[in-house]
Amino acid sequence: MSKPTPFQRVEGEEIMALGNSSCQGCGHATLARITFKVLGKNTVYTSVPGCIWIALQGSIPLYWRGTVFEGGGALISGIANGLEAVGKEMIVVGFYGDGGTADIGLQAMSAAAERNENVLWICADNEAYMNTGGQRSGLTPIYASTTTTPVASESRGKKSNKKNVPFIMAAHNIPYVATASIAYPNDLIGKLQYAKELKGFKYIHVQSPCPTGWGFDPARTIKVARLMVESGIWPLYEVTGGNNFKLTYKPRELKPVKEALILQGRFRHLDDSEYEYIQGQAVERWRQLLNVDGKKLPL
Amino acid sequence: MQTLLTTVSTLPEIILIEIRFHGRGGQGAVTASRVLAIAAFLEGHHSQSIPMYGTERRGAPVTAFVRIGEKSRMIRSLVHEPDYVVVLDPLLRNTVNITEGLKPGGTIIINSASPPEEIEFTSEYKVATVDATKVALETIGRPITNTAILGAFAKGTGEVKLESLIEAVKTEMSGRMADTNIKAVEKAYNSTIVGKNRVVKELKKVALPPANSRADWRTFRPIVDPAKCTGCQICWTFCPEHSINMMERKSTIDYIYCKGCGVCAEECPTKAITMVMESEKKEG
Repeated sequence: MSKPTPFQRVEGEEIMALGNSSCQGCGHATLARITFKVLGKNTVYTSVPGCIWIALQGSIPLYWRGTVFEGGGALISGIANGLEAVGKEMIVVGFYGDGGTADIGLQAMSAAAERNENVLWICADNEAYMNTGGQRSGLTPIYASTTTTPVASESRGKKSNKKNVPFIMAAHNIPYVATASIAYPNDLIGKLQYAKELKGFKYIHVQSPCPTGWGFDPARTIKVARLMVESGIWPLYEVTGGNNFKLTYKPRELKPVKEALILQGRFRHLDDSEYEYIQGQAVERWRQLLNVDGKKLPL
Repeated sequence: MQTLLTTVSTLPEIILIEIRFHGRGGQGAVTASRVLAIAAFLEGHHSQSIPMYGTERRGAPVTAFVRIGEKSRMIRSLVHEPDYVVVLDPLLRNTVNITEGLKPGGTIIINSASPPEEIEFTSEYKVATVDATKVALETIGRPITNTAILGAFAKGTGEVKLESLIEAVKTEMSGRMADTNIKAVEKAYNSTIVGKNRVVKELKKVALPPANSRADWRTFRPIVDPAKCTGCQICWTFCPEHSINMMERKSTIDYIYCKGCGVCAEECPTKAITMVMESEKKEG
């Protein structure tokens, strides 16, 4: 039982100050704490409005800048190039939510990735615009009930699938793309340590459940995050060197998606056929990922 | 401007009731203000509900306002001098000045397990108390105290009828949620105690925590059983507040910063951490 967690073996001090402003049980706070412990003090960070801004603001005593949603990629590029011009070697990390990454921030991020700026982009994905009350975003999964896709007599929640941003980023041929989850800190730390040493555009997409917006008890944040991975809805993988694909966590058997979804209030309305659709999607995705595991992606 | 204000304030017969709600994000202060405004509307009054929006965080102090009466048509500002103050959280009065601007002889409806005589303020008010957290846990199953405190409001002030509150709950909620919330309203209505507060010269000084303390966000507090703790550090890894310290291979919790989310209790492999309801006496 007393298995030591690798987090304890991470050298370096705890940077996150006590008393952050996130909600109870917010996954973003855990993410910020782990990330900064790994990256260390020689770091500059940027953000755009969102929950991750709330989690970082005032609790990470390092230099930081925030900007408008659509300027995230431009801001981080500017800071990285500025530091290079004055000859300072610092880690530049950007914390952006799912809106700042996949919807409004996509063009600037894509441009920065295409120029291969030397930055680390972390997408803190809570699957909707939670800071403003939970409007759907491009990363909201299908059938999820949000304030802009509410369940009613003629509506079954969001109509379209979640955008596959990690693969969009992998298609930019950047040095590192990974997915992670806050329920697997070992895996997340490994990915951060690898990305920290690389030059070029690094993209890590972290799923971080939101008790308020997803509708579950704040105590279950980690449990929900773990079940999303174990059921194959959120597979953990990385793409190194442009196109080498590797699954970093392979459960022996996928759990039924129902186990993960039934805990979340935003999926309370699902009927059997909808569960079946999500189940089929997860199994098919998992089969395809296993097929390319350890191989080169045709990018 | 001057003339308009004078005109409004010289209409003597027209009533105007102003109510301020104090709660925490997640307890439903905004929904409570909406339900009360709808209930007043169903009784044939003009009414308005004004939420005070900030970043919507669970656990942070929240304010909402309701105005009832003919005159409310003319005013669009926040409520600065309420006739009634409704407090959804028992520990909130330690950190927020809930009597600020309250009219002399006004009424305070407060979620508390103590009777009104034990509630201390510097001047005399009419006070109605109800243990809304207990009522909510018994009926709804979660510590969401908004509908329960409205039951106490109806009993303590008589400004709205219980029946119209129930009708208003039905318009805002549906199905099982409506049923359990109506039960909460009725139960709170029947268990409300109305009285006067104890007048003290100076409020008992609560040792002020640091400005960024999150201690008053908690409904439940985690308690570690050192005999069962194996020192695995899983709670320490996952704690979003980083308020768990490992001392001599046992986890100890920093109660100044713990928000009481319960992640540690849920993740503990040996179930060494249990969540216990916060007692208001211990805190006060």
